[in-house]
Amino acid sequence: MRYLLLLFTAILIFPCIAAADYKETFEKEFLSKPWAGEQLEEDACISCHSSDTMKQQYRAVVEEWKASWHAQNKISCHDCHGGDPKDATMSMSPQRGFVGVPKAVEIPEFCGKCHIAILKNYLESGHGKAFKSTGKGPNCVTCHGSHRIGKAGIDIINEQTCTKCHSYDRARGMKQALFVVEKKMGELESDINTLKGEGIFVDEKERALFSTQAEFRALFHTVDVSLVKQRTDEFTKRLGLIDKEMQDIFRELRFRKNFSAFLMLLFTGMGVVIFVYSKLPKE
Amino acid sequence: MKRRGFFKLLMYLLGSTTFISFCYPLLRFLAPPGSEASIKKLVLLKAEVPSGKAKSIVLNNMPAIVINRPDKGFIALSKVCTHLGCIVEYDRDKKILLCPCHAGTFDLDGNVISGPPPKSLQRLPLRIEGETIVIG
Amino acid sequence: MLKKIENWLEVRIGLNDLASTQLTGYRVPKNINLLYTVGFAAIIGYIIQVISGVFLLIYYIPHPDYAFGSVQNIMNKVPYGWLFREMHIVGGNLLITAVFLHMVTVFLMGNYMRPRELTWVGGGLMLIITFIFGLSGYLLPWSQLSYWATTVVTSIPTAFPVIGDATARIFKGGEQVSGTTLSRFFALHVAILPPLFLSLAVLHIFLIRRIGISATPFGKSDEEKRPLTEFRKKTHPGGYPFYPDFFLKMMFMVMVYCALMFFVITFLPTIFLPVEANTPADPLMTPTHIKPEWYFLAPYQMLRLIPNKFIGISIQLIFICIFLFWPFLDNQKEKNILKRPALRGAFLFLLATWIFLTFWGGY
Repeated sequence: MRYLLLLFTAILIFPCIAAADYKETFEKEFLSKPWAGEQLEEDACISCHSSDTMKQQYRAVVEEWKASWHAQNKISCHDCHGGDPKDATMSMSPQRGFVGVPKAVEIPEFCGKCHIAILKNYLESGHGKAFKSTGKGPNCVTCHGSHRIGKAGIDIINEQTCTKCHSYDRARGMKQALFVVEKKMGELESDINTLKGEGIFVDEKERALFSTQAEFRALFHTVDVSLVKQRTDEFTKRLGLIDKEMQDIFRELRFRKNFSAFLMLLFTGMGVVIFVYSKLPKE
Repeated sequence: MKRRGFFKLLMYLLGSTTFISFCYPLLRFLAPPGSEASIKKLVLLKAEVPSGKAKSIVLNNMPAIVINRPDKGFIALSKVCTHLGCIVEYDRDKKILLCPCHAGTFDLDGNVISGPPPKSLQRLPLRIEGETIVIG
Repeated sequence: MLKKIENWLEVRIGLNDLASTQLTGYRVPKNINLLYTVGFAAIIGYIIQVISGVFLLIYYIPHPDYAFGSVQNIMNKVPYGWLFREMHIVGGNLLITAVFLHMVTVFLMGNYMRPRELTWVGGGLMLIITFIFGLSGYLLPWSQLSYWATTVVTSIPTAFPVIGDATARIFKGGEQVSGTTLSRFFALHVAILPPLFLSLAVLHIFLIRRIGISATPFGKSDEEKRPLTEFRKKTHPGGYPFYPDFFLKMMFMVMVYCALMFFVITFLPTIFLPVEANTPADPLMTPTHIKPEWYFLAPYQMLRLIPNKFIGISIQLIFICIFLFWPFLDNQKEKNILKRPALRGAFLFLLATWIFLTFWGGY
């Protein structure tokens, strides 16, 4: 009997020892399946631009992009520059829409391919008009960079960036005007993340918040302080509605915790009573 | 004897409290409040939306649009973009709905033409009754 | 008042006789310990699942387009819907733990030995059915977690040559997990498995009462002479009455079970609900870290380790057969596991391996 047992235990050990090359076989057997976790995508742009034969300045682009908000949202090279990412021979072909590096004067339209509302406001703004007429002035890359584009935030307005052409006073005024709404949006964003962590499905509220954020930040690009101040109330009200819903949810979560704690205490109490009762001497 | 009686009583009290603590939620669970009253309908006159034009409405706190398409008639679509939630705009000349945030384009059936949106715009129920359009 | 009802029943069904033979007269061994009550706690756990499940059934819609929304409705709009859903989720996981613990304690106390082989086999089948309950129920919320974990687990049979792909296709109802899969898992979970489990449970309890409770081999030695050659119900004339003594023990265990369940619901409500559980299923987007539910992690990890999938799954099936029919393979008469170091060592080693693989599979 014991030999039978030892034999079966050995059966278990053997494959573990034989599993020395499990990683390769696992990758072949499982990772090739469509559901097998990480999607190993073949991106021709990135393969070439990160290879050792590429010049350092081009390799750096890939690293910068990887750290960007675009990369996190799966926007890659071809989405802006065109070309075919799946076919290395056509990856830089004009036939597949490749446009290469935009000329400085074309930068706003390059980014504005997707960011339509912002382009519209920018072209009507002081910044846009100055840039288009003189070729000097801020364009998208000036404040946001070209590849290491971070998530939008109020600190993109700072002394370093905004004093290249004029004094910081104007920028400071704008930053102050934006401050209240931006702060509220930040709070709501972190509340939404908290709720997600608590298991609440907040898709609708996320969308409402994003829509408000996008509109507010597109508005900023007019660089018109009075316009921003004028519309601050409207935005604050919209955000207030979202906030109220979230506070309701938080309250509900607190109630749930208390209720289930109450039930837990009831059962614990009953357990204690039963235990003590069972230990009492019989009559 | 007294102690046994005391504990028995305690047990009954706790037991009945627990029982009621489950019965009450159960009853509320089975009889949800009549929140269905919030689903409203919106009535428009056909004349308000001439051919080729559109009218923006709000239905149950959702921005929507009623379009009178020259070829296919009336349609009511939600204006909330299915990408990240921005509000799309109607471009009459190009016969599309365009999202200002990331250039998601939809045709006048609500289907995605190009851009990041993952699915088509939500279609709202629409009925024509004589000279009126009822949405919702 | 109570006396009147008792008399009324006594005249019709002989209540007093029933009470004395089944409750107060039915005796349990003096050295019975708390672990003997885990099985009863499991039955209560199962009843909790049925009740909470029936209430969820009232609002759940088993169609891929509506399933996720209906569950969110239960969680957020229906009054106290969250309570029943949490009870069902936490209860389910706790039930699997309880059943597992019951299996381990029965094994360690040798209570599967003659004449109780059928009881063990029934119990083993119930354990497997409980796992299938878990698997089928997991898909029903139709979240990213549900969809992809189910995809992984239902692809495991593809390891078999010839019949592997066909088997997987029967489970999934097609090449991929889809609405067809949801329908059949729903039917399994709600209509096919419950009566199956119930009949096994009834058989299991009947056998226990008919054969008699076995005493623990530890402490005072058991007088049961082995091998037995004729039917003799095991009684314990010098033992405690089932009611009220053992009944109180059982109730205590039930209170511990429920208190534990509500402890988890209060302080760890999202332990079984990661972010993917609150995202609707998207067949086109695989989340970066999918893995099956925790009770399937050990077999899953083992399959990932063994290069040849066929050998991997065959080993697992062999182990399941050994486990299910163990009473027939074990031919030693000694019931006390403290006196059987080889079996004790092998069992503890397998248990430790299972726990280790579960944790490893989690990464």
